[in-house]
Amino acid sequence: MISFLLIILASFFFMGVVVRTKSIASGRRGPGIFQPMKDILRLLKKGSVYSKTTSLIFKIAPVAYLSSVLMAILMVPHGNNPGFISFDGDFVMFAYVLAFGKFMIIISALDTGSSFEGMGASREALYSMLVEPAFFILMGSFALYTGHTSFFTIFSTLHYGSYISYMLGALATFVFVLIAMIENSRMPVDDPKTHLELTMIHEVMVLDNSGFDLGLIQYTSYLKFAMYGAIISNFFIGVLPFWISIPMFLVVQFGFAIAVGVIESFMARFRMGHNPQFIFILTSVSMLIFFGALLVLGKFM
Amino acid sequence: MIDILLIALAMTLLYMSIANRLHTYLRILVFQGFILFGATYLTLTNVNTVNLLLIMLETIVFKSIAVPWFMSYIIKRNKISRAAEPYLPYFVSLLIVTIIIVLAIILSSSIKDANLDKTYFVVALSTMFTGLYLIVSRKKIITHVIGYLVIENGVFVLSLAVGNEMPMLVNLGIMLDIFASVLILGIFFNKIGDVIKNPDVDLLNNLRD
Amino acid sequence: MEKYFIEFFNLIGIIAIISFPFFKTKGRGLITLGVIIVQVIISSIVAFYVFANGPVSHTFTGSFITGPIPFRIDFLSAWFILVISFTFLTGAWYGLHYMKKYKDQTDNLALHMTAFILLYNSIIDICLVQNGLVLLVVWEIMALSSFIAVIFEHNKKETIKAGINFLIQSHVCILFLTMAFMWVKVKTGSFDFSAITAYTSAEPAITGIGLFLFFFFGFAIKAGFVPFHTWLPLAHPAAPAHISGIMSGVIIKIGIYGILRVLLLIKTDMVSLGYFILAVSVITGVYGVMLAIVQHNLKKLLAYHSIENIGIIGIGIGLGCLGLGYNSQILVVCGFGGALLHTLNHSLFKSLLFYCAGIVYQKTHTMDIEKMGGLLKHIPRTGYLFLIGSLAICGLPPFNGFVSEFFIYTGLFNGLQSNDFLFIMALLFAILGLVVIGGLALICFTKAFGIIFLGNSRDHEVRNFSKEKPMDFFPLYIVALGILIIGLLPVILAPALLKITQMYMSASVIPVTPAYNSILGNLTSVGWYSLGFIALTALLYFLRHIITSRRAQTIEATWGCGYTGDASKMQYTASSFIRSYRKLAGSFLMIKKDKQEASGLYPEHINQETHPYDRVENWFIDKPLHLIRRFLNRFVFLQNGNIQAYILYGFIFIGLVILVPVIIEKLAVFFNFLNQL
Repeated sequence: MISFLLIILASFFFMGVVVRTKSIASGRRGPGIFQPMKDILRLLKKGSVYSKTTSLIFKIAPVAYLSSVLMAILMVPHGNNPGFISFDGDFVMFAYVLAFGKFMIIISALDTGSSFEGMGASREALYSMLVEPAFFILMGSFALYTGHTSFFTIFSTLHYGSYISYMLGALATFVFVLIAMIENSRMPVDDPKTHLELTMIHEVMVLDNSGFDLGLIQYTSYLKFAMYGAIISNFFIGVLPFWISIPMFLVVQFGFAIAVGVIESFMARFRMGHNPQFIFILTSVSMLIFFGALLVLGKFM
Repeated sequence: MIDILLIALAMTLLYMSIANRLHTYLRILVFQGFILFGATYLTLTNVNTVNLLLIMLETIVFKSIAVPWFMSYIIKRNKISRAAEPYLPYFVSLLIVTIIIVLAIILSSSIKDANLDKTYFVVALSTMFTGLYLIVSRKKIITHVIGYLVIENGVFVLSLAVGNEMPMLVNLGIMLDIFASVLILGIFFNKIGDVIKNPDVDLLNNLRD
Repeated sequence: MEKYFIEFFNLIGIIAIISFPFFKTKGRGLITLGVIIVQVIISSIVAFYVFANGPVSHTFTGSFITGPIPFRIDFLSAWFILVISFTFLTGAWYGLHYMKKYKDQTDNLALHMTAFILLYNSIIDICLVQNGLVLLVVWEIMALSSFIAVIFEHNKKETIKAGINFLIQSHVCILFLTMAFMWVKVKTGSFDFSAITAYTSAEPAITGIGLFLFFFFGFAIKAGFVPFHTWLPLAHPAAPAHISGIMSGVIIKIGIYGILRVLLLIKTDMVSLGYFILAVSVITGVYGVMLAIVQHNLKKLLAYHSIENIGIIGIGIGLGCLGLGYNSQILVVCGFGGALLHTLNHSLFKSLLFYCAGIVYQKTHTMDIEKMGGLLKHIPRTGYLFLIGSLAICGLPPFNGFVSEFFIYTGLFNGLQSNDFLFIMALLFAILGLVVIGGLALICFTKAFGIIFLGNSRDHEVRNFSKEKPMDFFPLYIVALGILIIGLLPVILAPALLKITQMYMSASVIPVTPAYNSILGNLTSVGWYSLGFIALTALLYFLRHIITSRRAQTIEATWGCGYTGDASKMQYTASSFIRSYRKLAGSFLMIKKDKQEASGLYPEHINQETHPYDRVENWFIDKPLHLIRRFLNRFVFLQNGNIQAYILYGFIFIGLVILVPVIIEKLAVFFNFLNQL
């Protein structure tokens, strides 16, 4: 349970740190760290406007999305503690539960019958299809390296022996950070600040949502960020005791948030047609990580 | 440690397949030069110091500094447009380069010779084939030269694999570098660029008899 | 007892058909349904009995030609009998309602119902019979009756073309099977299946592989592996909805049954077979779904998805074979278990999707997705059932598609622990394939569900949709319930799956280890957590309902950025939804796009059309047919319609038959004479 609580805690300040970093990088003071959460609380109190074209799917989808991310969070371990849900092969369920949430959001976007949401939905479907293999091959390399197949057993038995395993760990972290950026629709694949319809992916899918639903969806995206941050922190924590691992977790989340802010401030978004290659390169890099793992294990010789 | 550098070299190949500006190619070549510099230092431990210093100097000067600078000068002087024009879409290029790397790995795993250092072989083979692929799939003549330089980096890696036993091979690899510079000088003096608006290489077809 | 079961079973079917002339159409329909129900009950009782007590068998003495005809119901047959019976039951029930529209075509209907009953009888008999010649006969009956069932609407030209294509390819399949059985008969002298086992254990491995390939090509045509799949996307749209559902859910699975049965019988190098099946299946799965995305005919889309799911089943089978070859018990259990479970799951959700497609067709009279939209408001029950089917086919929890894919994934990831480099590469390839298949299926079904049921109608006419009749939906509800139950409680099927996979292992003497219990534990966890997931969603939705019911809610038009024109024209169409995918995969697929450019200041009506074609069909079927036709066109002069010419041909033939041996004998004498000189 502790992992679940820590991730919820991290989600409160994550986006605030990102926004603050971006503001400081542009030379402004920036809003407080808890401002995004205050925005969500404000949204949760509002009424909603629904479109005539939408149906029950539009109302269920934000709830289904939130619950899919909550289920996924329950599977993430923290150091020596398994998640609430932990069994062999749970990362497969992790990926597919998240895919369920995406499915619901995509069809709720198509439900509005607007071309904006349709555009976002089609791109989101394609990009999430391209990024899935990277995650699976990465987990496959870890399963190969440690000999186990669940999140908890992989991370608790992950130890870095030789130089090359450090490099693989660093590379895996890098790939994971990029996967997190893509799944949360941040730069350089999607710019959350742009509200030009031709350039949006995720933001445009929720254009018609309002009030409580919009609050849920935004909070879910912060939760997703914190969740990926928690997985990345697991690379570093290993089996350290609580009084080291919890501060380290918070440090990693802060670091991740600052890194996201820095990347967003200094990189421009890619041309939309260039995105598929960029996303697929993660799969190729994870294949190289797989072969690196084979190399370390000596199965390649 | 050397494996890390070689894997980084393989990653630069992937990045090269999706790059769409000529300057990106040049920056990747510079980065590859640095990787090879480090690789030379770590691998050639049995070569006498003077020869080693010479090789390392040559690597860093030619691969990372001189050639890329010269090529960017040519690009500016011949007013070559800055986008690489491929025949196939970038996504397909990425798939093909990935398949090349995977095939190189499968090929090297089926060779059962104990003397062969697998990582070197895989990276060298994939670099060479990627360089060949770059030559085949891009329209501009300048990318032919870039592809040739990539092939040559691959040959260099292969020569490093046996460099401890046969240091002369590494020196021969350096000769290839000098040959490449002659090629580039040729382009420089003939002002081949994309002054002609039609695809450049296709006009070379007119040379057949 | 078994003897009576088999004879009784077939007898009921024949009596039902014979009684047709005495009833009117409605009576015939009810008789069909009744007979199918009775047969389903009988076969299910026998199947459960087999699972509880062990295989049963009986041998008929047969004749001089066939040798003894053993009938044997073992675990594999029992599983397939259950899968087939369930789908046939729901299909017959749904078909009864679906065909009400065609009430006045009495003769056509009678023929159709006859074919239906014969189809069911023959398919069940295929699962029981263990003699090669009898199998071929029953297979032929099945092929012919499915052909008749498919071409119900034979007044349409495309239906007949699709049906003939199906018939010809079925017979190519039978040709391969015949060659395989003849090979065994010639070498061993018996048609019995056990002769195959004896023959292949005695010969070197390469014989076994060759024999397997013959069987595989035959069954692959039936199952729909690439490149033998070309009949599938033509036959499914042509058939009426309940037949499409049954074909996709059951008839294709007979090919899988055949492959599994042959794997039990042939003793050869399992490792090479495993690699071969794995490679073919990954290609099938990825190719099927890549083509499915660009289709705009709903039934064709679902047909290509069937090809993809056959690929997934094949991956499981390939994994199981590799496990047999490498003596790894986990791989065998996960591979074959996952494949068998996916067979059941696929029959469930695919039949559900086809039935919903049939209802959509009856309401809108078109199968073109681009003309639909916003149907959820008019036919909500169909819409939600289609949603359940889509979620299941994409392999998303909490439904059954996820359970079988999870099973196969467990096997793949566990297999990574081995020390064989080539094996690890193959597993990587398979994992990559399975993930890509899942992702592409997501794109396809968000497109299908979203474009058909959501948004505004893309057709300009204002239609009045007849209301749905709740009673018609009963069979669909049962299937949906099945999907949900298997998704939440997969353990109820686990003992049956274990018994079947043990059939494979006891053939190669591998001990049962407790590793199976851990897999069982994982499946149970998956089921319980899926249930928790549903509960969590329901709880959150309930909370949301409480909180928002007190807030203000207004209904407005969708925000259109100030556009005041026709909103339904501005929606995303199916082609635009998949456009970015089409740009990536376009060089690989064959898509012909006809564009008209807009010209001038005030352009008129412009059209753009995209037609998806199948490249494999082009290379394997269209081009060879074209070449054959060109070659044969030179001999057209022989068909001049003149009856005297034809009699002349017969005369020439008789003359040749008499003269040629005589001439050859004389020539032999002559050459002998020359030799002696």
